[in-house]
Amino acid sequence: MKLEGTQTLPATVETVWKSINDPETLRRCTPGLKELSETGPDAYAATLTVGIAAVKGTYKGTLTLSEKQPTTHLKIILEGTGGPGFMKGEGIVDLEPQGEGTLVKWTGDVQVGGLMAGVGQRMLGGVGKMLIGQFFKCLEQHLGTDA
Amino acid sequence: MKPAAFEYHAPRTVDEALALLDAHGDEAKVLAGGQSLVPMMNMRLARPGVVVDINRLPALDYLTLDGGALRIGALCRQRAVERSALTAEHCPLLRDAVRLIGHLQIRNRGTVVGSIAHADPAAEMTAALTILGGEVTATGPGGERTIDADELFVSYLTTSLDPRELITEARFPVLPAGAGWSWTEIARRHGDFALVGVGVVLSVRAGVVADARIALTGVGPTPVRATHAERALAGAAPGDALWEQAAEAVRAEVEPDDDIHASAAYRRHVAGVLTGRALAEAHGRAREAA
Amino acid sequence: MSTRYFGARVTRNEDPALLTGRGLFVDDVRLRGVAHAAVLRSPHANARLLSIDVRQARALRGVLAVYVHADLGTLGDPLPKLIPHPALVHHKTQSALAKDRVRYVGEPVAFVVAESRYIAEDACDRIAVEYDPLPAVASLEAAVGPDAPRVHDDVEGNVCAHYTQRVGDVDAAFARAPHRFRERFVIDRGAASPMETRGVAASWDAGAARLEVWDSTQAPIPIRNGLAQLLGLPEQHVRVVAPDVGGGFGPKVMMFYPEEILVPFAAMRLGRPVKWIEDRREHFVATNQEREQIHDAEIAVDGDGRILGVRTVFLHDAGAYIPYGLIVPIVASTTLPGPYRIPNYHCEFRAVFTNKTMVSPYRGAGRPQGVFVMERLLDRAARELGVDRTEIRRRNLIQPHEFPYDVGLIYQDNAPLRYDSGDYPRCLDRALELIDYAGWPARQRAARAEGRALGCGVACYVEGTGIGPYEGARVTVEPSGQVFVATGVGTQGQGHLTAFAQIAADALGVSPRRVTVHTGDTGMFGWGTGTFASRGATVAGNAVALAAAAVREKTRLVAATLLEAPPEEIELGDGDVFVRGVPARAVTLGEVARAANPLRFAMPREWEGPGLEAIRYFAPPQGAFSNGVHACVVEVDAETGALTVLRYVVVHDCGRVINPSILDGQIRGGVAQGLGGAFYEKLAYDDQAQPLSTTFMDYLLPTAAEVPPVEIGHVETPSPLNPLGIKGAGEAGVIPVIAVIAQAVEDALDPLRLHITEAPLSPNRLRQLIVEARRSP
Repeated sequence: MKLEGTQTLPATVETVWKSINDPETLRRCTPGLKELSETGPDAYAATLTVGIAAVKGTYKGTLTLSEKQPTTHLKIILEGTGGPGFMKGEGIVDLEPQGEGTLVKWTGDVQVGGLMAGVGQRMLGGVGKMLIGQFFKCLEQHLGTDA
Repeated sequence: MKPAAFEYHAPRTVDEALALLDAHGDEAKVLAGGQSLVPMMNMRLARPGVVVDINRLPALDYLTLDGGALRIGALCRQRAVERSALTAEHCPLLRDAVRLIGHLQIRNRGTVVGSIAHADPAAEMTAALTILGGEVTATGPGGERTIDADELFVSYLTTSLDPRELITEARFPVLPAGAGWSWTEIARRHGDFALVGVGVVLSVRAGVVADARIALTGVGPTPVRATHAERALAGAAPGDALWEQAAEAVRAEVEPDDDIHASAAYRRHVAGVLTGRALAEAHGRAREAA
Repeated sequence: MSTRYFGARVTRNEDPALLTGRGLFVDDVRLRGVAHAAVLRSPHANARLLSIDVRQARALRGVLAVYVHADLGTLGDPLPKLIPHPALVHHKTQSALAKDRVRYVGEPVAFVVAESRYIAEDACDRIAVEYDPLPAVASLEAAVGPDAPRVHDDVEGNVCAHYTQRVGDVDAAFARAPHRFRERFVIDRGAASPMETRGVAASWDAGAARLEVWDSTQAPIPIRNGLAQLLGLPEQHVRVVAPDVGGGFGPKVMMFYPEEILVPFAAMRLGRPVKWIEDRREHFVATNQEREQIHDAEIAVDGDGRILGVRTVFLHDAGAYIPYGLIVPIVASTTLPGPYRIPNYHCEFRAVFTNKTMVSPYRGAGRPQGVFVMERLLDRAARELGVDRTEIRRRNLIQPHEFPYDVGLIYQDNAPLRYDSGDYPRCLDRALELIDYAGWPARQRAARAEGRALGCGVACYVEGTGIGPYEGARVTVEPSGQVFVATGVGTQGQGHLTAFAQIAADALGVSPRRVTVHTGDTGMFGWGTGTFASRGATVAGNAVALAAAAVREKTRLVAATLLEAPPEEIELGDGDVFVRGVPARAVTLGEVARAANPLRFAMPREWEGPGLEAIRYFAPPQGAFSNGVHACVVEVDAETGALTVLRYVVVHDCGRVINPSILDGQIRGGVAQGLGGAFYEKLAYDDQAQPLSTTFMDYLLPTAAEVPPVEIGHVETPSPLNPLGIKGAGEAGVIPVIAVIAQAVEDALDPLRLHITEAPLSPNRLRQLIVEARRSP
């Protein structure tokens, strides 16, 4: 499942970059994240409960940040397995200054396996986009508070 | 496909039901018709720890006409709404929409309020509530409150309800006198979820469109009021050219998703096609308002 | 011998019980103390299986056992190769439980037995499996692409077989042909979707060392034989019963599905009966599917549309393993020529592994694909040459005087493909009459004037049926006068309990209601191969006829003694046995049966044994070939892509017809499945071979609201290959549907010159094709 979108944030690329790389932001803003513990540089063990309304699954796995080009480019990989199957999301985030703020361009490749994939097709794409939107909304809300 | 273990309660009073919801919060799910909840539980997509079965609350099973609106209790079955003379006379758009929910057997058990609370992105009842400017009464620990349709539907399968709240009633205002209506949808098969559904209410006065309301389902996470299209219609002369203009406005307004049944492009195109057809049908039914 | 019942619309013997809920399906079998099983299945399409931790599952209260591959011993070896073929170089089969690698979503990884299915599923949730996911192959194109991941490490390019059949000299034919047209056809996967999912129940009597298995299978005898061999038991001590089966359609004939081994194994280990009932979601990954092929095909014709040559090179999707062998692509290859004279033919295929559920025949078994290719090629030629599509077919039809007609190929039964009988022009004429083809252009014009896009389609096909190796039947008359027929085939809705009763009833002069037919129980009859490939009525039916005829002769012999008249003058009728012309000199059939089993004194040698009973086998030297023509009228909404089938006509020739009502039912059901494959049913996968449509919400079966009444016409050209003159009809309804719908849709949107080379279509896809067509000049 390929998703993509853009988001404008009212902060400089430096502020946005710092925020995205901060484990506190990840902890706070990754939808459904229940536990995040550092296992190495830019690598974390993660537990998340993700879904929509009553339809939820708990996944245990990892979150890694890579391909870092400070203030411009980043890759985030979040993957986990759980009762409902497995999920793997690979996101590429590119930042560009836009006036006083930052234009965030993101693309994501989300793989969902098992129960959710076989049964939830009607909504997976839309829900995926929505969850990613929630991440950026949360990011926006907390910009500047960590500066 | 057997559900995970859960606690089952069948309260005998509304207060008892509310107390259970209050105690268990988002671990609890309300069971009314069960036509959406039970399959999700059987597939283990949903694993509520507690099921609160409200089927033994006959006080919630009613359908009345009151103050210019149809009042539908939480336990009123879709089939009852479909067959009621009140619906046919005062709100035929609702009847036309209910009739397309699944199959007869599903409508025998499913409830209108349940469908609204479930908020499926392709549901008929959520769009019907939206287009008719309806509202629900929700009761919870904080007491009773009224929620308008345009504040109720938040996202896929998500309403603004607190998990401890129970919708006890939905109210659908009757159609304005002389208004034409249409509910038009396209589905893969008889009884399937709509790929796209369009509801239209149209009033005509002095030969022009006096009021137009258009709502769509299946084109996003929640029902969509096509306000741009509605503005394009107001005060304009009815006819095929106007319907086509409105159809184009709808196409520009909606942001549908891709899924395995249809692409966003298909839904966008068909949203326009169905809008045009629904407007023509509604116009055919409209009588000049005084 | 009367033929009072043969050919009559006798209402079915099986219906009163089935319609009042008194049928006995596997899940209805009551076994005292039965335990319930669930299967943990791989969520990955391709992965190494690193470890399985079942401790938490085993510790759950109510769990009796959790088995993994290591617990199976030799039962964990790869399952049998069902149908080998010299071209099948990599005949890979799966193991009952995965050892260290999984190759499709749904592959069994662990087997849980518990007090209830609820607890068994809870236990599955607690099994921790460590996988190392590998890139997966999700489609034919991906499978044969450069650097494609390997489904099996030792199978290069994922190709497990490469097979070619040739007739004449296709290269020369194409070289000199005035017209050549080339197409690429893509046909998608489908799932048979029987109303009853699979299920297996087993009970082991340790004292008597006997195993009893109930299995929703189309082939209980091979299952019995295979189980006996695998478990080291005498065949005599294993009984497999296929009780009432709620639809088979092909995927229920396999040897083995893992559960068919695991359930008996668990029952023997635990000393308790075990039952496993497949749920619907499982069914979409755990039961075989079929149909996916990509054909690069071309046709060479002369200026009149006469076929000079046909060539197809195709890829066949086998799924992750190929126990059933090359039957489906061979059937596709040999069905393609159809009712046409094709002097030069080249048919080449590669069977390819993908990381998806395995493929074995699903009603049609390759015929729909072959027919789609041939019919679409002819439609293309017709359009290009400006010849009417029915006329181009008529010009190429094999004529009635040309039978037996040697196509020049080898069929799925390894015998020469030789059509035994048929009247193809007559079937075409009848279908055109029923659909009123002559009046069609005017009707279409009138509809267009009203803004409606109506289209008509006509498609022809030949259907191979009634193949060997053999089936058998035992007919017995009891002293009560009740007749019993036992045969080795199983019944999944074909009406065998009626059709076979009709055959025996005619031979023995009784009512079909007095004939009880037992099928699918190895304890009642132990020799046979199963119900598949439209062979039940033809092969088993003829065995019943032979056995009943033998019993009839024995009856006359024994009655001769009782009635003191020569056997040649003895007649049977209305349950009685009497001297011809002297109805007063009569005894009942039951009395003859009693007399045939003396308790004392000597028995006449010419009786060759006691009782009115005979066992006979029928082994056809080759298959019998049915044929048909389908025609339809559809309406297309060009703006929404919606399709409505307004009329559907089937003209069918399966030789002599035992029971027209049963035949009609078979045809209607087939048409419904065909419409599913034409417009509704699509098994969706993502690019890592994750199944995306595993409920009926997303895998759409046409309902009664989508399927029009099917109008059926019959033509009968008896088969010379068997005493009853019958041919099979089980798959007739489904075979040409995707072809006829494609043609009709193109016809409906004729001004747009749509070019349909795929199945299934959908409103979404139709809109895409329409938009593309409107764009191109």
